[in-house]
Amino acid sequence: MNEDLIKQHGLTIDEFKIIHKYLKRDLSIEELGIFSAMWNEHCCYKTSKKWLKKLPTENNIVIQGPGENAGIIDLKDNDGIAFKIESHNHPSYIEPFNGSATGVGGILRDIFTMGARPIATLDSIRFGDITTDKTKYLLNGVVHGIGHYGNCIGIPNIGGECEFDSSYDYNNLVNAMAIGHVKNDRIFYSKPKTIGGLIVYIGSKTGKDGIHGASMASDVFSEDDEDEKRPSVQVGDPFMEKLLMEGCLELMSSGLIESMQDMGAAGITSSSVEMASKGEVGVLINLDKIPLREPLSPYEILLSESQERMLAVIEPENNEKVKSILKRWQIDYEVIGEITDTKRVVFSSKNKNVVDLPVNIIVDDAPEYDREFYIPKKRKINDFDLTNLNIENMVDNLFQNLNYLEKSWVFNQYDSTVMGDTIKEPGQSSGIVKIHDSDKVIGATTDCNPLYIRINPEKGMEYTVLESYRNLVCSNLKPLAITNNLNFASPHDPNIMGEIVLSINGLRKSASQLDTPIVSGNVSLYNQTNDRPIKPTPVIGMVGFNDNYENIISNKFQNESDLIILIGNTMSKNSSPYFLQDQLTVKKVTQFNELIDINYDLEKKNIKVLYNIFDHNLVTSCNDISRGGVFLTLIKMLQNNYGFNINIKDKFDIFCEYQAGYILTINKNDYGSIKNIFEKNQIEYQNIGEVTKESIEINSKKFDYFKILNDYLNNFEKIIN
Amino acid sequence: MSFKSAVITFPGSNCDRDALVYLKALTNGEVLNIWHEENSLPNVDLVIVPGGFSFGDYLRSGAMASKSKIINDLINHSKKGGYILGICNGFQILSEIGLLKGALIQNKRLKFLGKNCFIKKRYQSDFNCLINKDQVLKIPVAHNEGNFYCDDSDLKYLHDNELIAFEYCEGKFSNSIANINGSIDNIAGITNKDKNILGMMPHPERAFQNFHSSQDGKLILESLLS
Repeated sequence: MNEDLIKQHGLTIDEFKIIHKYLKRDLSIEELGIFSAMWNEHCCYKTSKKWLKKLPTENNIVIQGPGENAGIIDLKDNDGIAFKIESHNHPSYIEPFNGSATGVGGILRDIFTMGARPIATLDSIRFGDITTDKTKYLLNGVVHGIGHYGNCIGIPNIGGECEFDSSYDYNNLVNAMAIGHVKNDRIFYSKPKTIGGLIVYIGSKTGKDGIHGASMASDVFSEDDEDEKRPSVQVGDPFMEKLLMEGCLELMSSGLIESMQDMGAAGITSSSVEMASKGEVGVLINLDKIPLREPLSPYEILLSESQERMLAVIEPENNEKVKSILKRWQIDYEVIGEITDTKRVVFSSKNKNVVDLPVNIIVDDAPEYDREFYIPKKRKINDFDLTNLNIENMVDNLFQNLNYLEKSWVFNQYDSTVMGDTIKEPGQSSGIVKIHDSDKVIGATTDCNPLYIRINPEKGMEYTVLESYRNLVCSNLKPLAITNNLNFASPHDPNIMGEIVLSINGLRKSASQLDTPIVSGNVSLYNQTNDRPIKPTPVIGMVGFNDNYENIISNKFQNESDLIILIGNTMSKNSSPYFLQDQLTVKKVTQFNELIDINYDLEKKNIKVLYNIFDHNLVTSCNDISRGGVFLTLIKMLQNNYGFNINIKDKFDIFCEYQAGYILTINKNDYGSIKNIFEKNQIEYQNIGEVTKESIEINSKKFDYFKILNDYLNNFEKIIN
Repeated sequence: MSFKSAVITFPGSNCDRDALVYLKALTNGEVLNIWHEENSLPNVDLVIVPGGFSFGDYLRSGAMASKSKIINDLINHSKKGGYILGICNGFQILSEIGLLKGALIQNKRLKFLGKNCFIKKRYQSDFNCLINKDQVLKIPVAHNEGNFYCDDSDLKYLHDNELIAFEYCEGKFSNSIANINGSIDNIAGITNKDKNILGMMPHPERAFQNFHSSQDGKLILESLLS
């Protein structure tokens, strides 16, 4: 086989030699396509596997950890939640609308494939410098695509994040997370049980879209790639997905399905190989039976990533019943093959086997690399000159920076209240939905602090996990588990590889400390165009729980004259990375000081005391402190024309980041009780002021309340247009 | 007397369950779910045509659903004086059938809009009789085609016959203008001439439970029941 053809398929010559040595024969072009699809990073994690294995993935509430379509956590009383995050970065740069829409479609299929009904989505999106037309186009297209798909299928979007940083100029990121509710005795897996079981194809017809999508997602871009790669982007149809979802959930609740796997990345190839591997069986599939949109060659059928398709295994006697349910939902359905005992993946076309491979070489012999990596150097200590900064310019700076502004322009394009169970909508510290027909609630948040991680990948990652944790705690949710989406540049650069290795290690440490296992995830490497890598962006999605929605604490002010209490430690002006970047415009990563050491004891102590005072009904509202410091937290807490009047000794501390930092408001009459509890638990706190009406005053400086509100709420839209 | 009601489900409806929950919580009678391919509706007091993307909004929002089998009997139901409430896509479907005047075109800003909006009563009907004049209701909207449009003679007809049920208005701590989507005369919901059919873009079935951000949506069904 010629070397160019091998390289075009994203395989190295060494990888090809392994295959050749094993098979002792030449490969058909279809077989080469299969290895191309299965041996890229997106499908086999060849670069990251060694490190991902070290993550904690189990505890007494984990029903399903990584390795299935989604992770599942036990909520007791037969309730479970399935959740996962997945990236659609490369397609969303090439074709933002369809790329992001199909990202949402794909993650929803991962959820309902397991028998779970999706109840919420979140999205974590990142873009470059907003002053370019390209970024504006990407932002508009991505938000439109996410909204279009989720709104149509009718799953509420309850939160996420949207960040701008010039490192994403040529590689924007789109990570979509979905959460589903499942009955624990009705979970479906991809593993087939019956030899002779029928393999059935359910959903949209197969077309040319998305051919080689998975291998595209595992390659570095060059600038002229955009037009050339556009045909590799899938096109979504949320209406079809809605029908598919209802049809599949009905089949599963009727007990007619034995196993199910969605056709996501690498389409029918990866779904059938996955089934064979999980069940330690073989599959025999007749490609002539696949419903087609247009004439396709066997090679194209195998690698198509057409959307809204499922593969299922059923017992032969259920065939007619399955057919009639799917007919009602107007969904294409075809028996395309059967489960065999050969442990081989066989695809035939026109009475000829075009692929005949042992399952184990595709899956078990997939390459695994231990790439070289560098550890970042120790940092010098800088003392920054901040004499030019006063409170007024710091406030102005924040309101000219997209990363601090309210993003209703984004989330108002999403339906966040469909399904009628939404308790907290986007724009709050976490989104919260109620489990239908119960009092239980699930909250979720996505987070990443790329700047922290660039400064120190390990600690930066730990701070990211802690921030998610605080996002949930401040609403009185108990964080349960994590899904992760590791977005990095090319691992062939040992510095980047260092970021991957160390941030996974940080994730391991913090997840172990906090007992929040990682139950699902996704890796997206090569987010790099020529020599411009993205900042390391390992996004995590965290879910939290409370058994009664009435216990949820508001993130916004509730009453005038409530006292405002601050707990946590400031990272101070020299060690707050976002403060330095955004107020002092420190740009070079080498200029930042080392991140302050993580203080798990303090974090845990504060969390414990918060749960305690929530239980005693002593808190009227609470929010955590992150980028933008105490000031931005207070701004986020405004509603119903409430304002605030505060005093903090060091003015920079108003804008700095915090460890274990929270703002809470309490009724004046409860101050004594709060004081007692804090003193008993040795909690350092400051009573910084009180909630007012229509006024903002900081360290005795009065601000124009309506101007601040207007800037915060409306500047985002002004800046992006 | 018990109040019987039904919700029609089309392929792509996604607020049908929400409407069923709304009816079950606030009415005392049987609540039925009817598939669009049925020939006839059961004998009920109220039919909700729910929100969503019936038939994927292909062709035009509501256009395909307006040709479904069940629609003939929905028209019969309306002729007999039965109540019909079309919410969001349901409003679009009722307009496409011709049971309500005007049309819902794309929002003025050309973007989907999902947020709380504020509405108040314009003219009285059975659907809003418990709502006071100038009382502001907070109810979510979620639509891409909610911009109510009609020609001058239809608009005059709507006013002359007092058929405008709800109009958008300003709320407190809201940075938005009253008219969120470009609708003529801020129209958020209209009735037919006999006032037994209401079409509205806001979703009352998302604003009635104690964990919702507002409970104002109750007032519409409670008005009907009063």
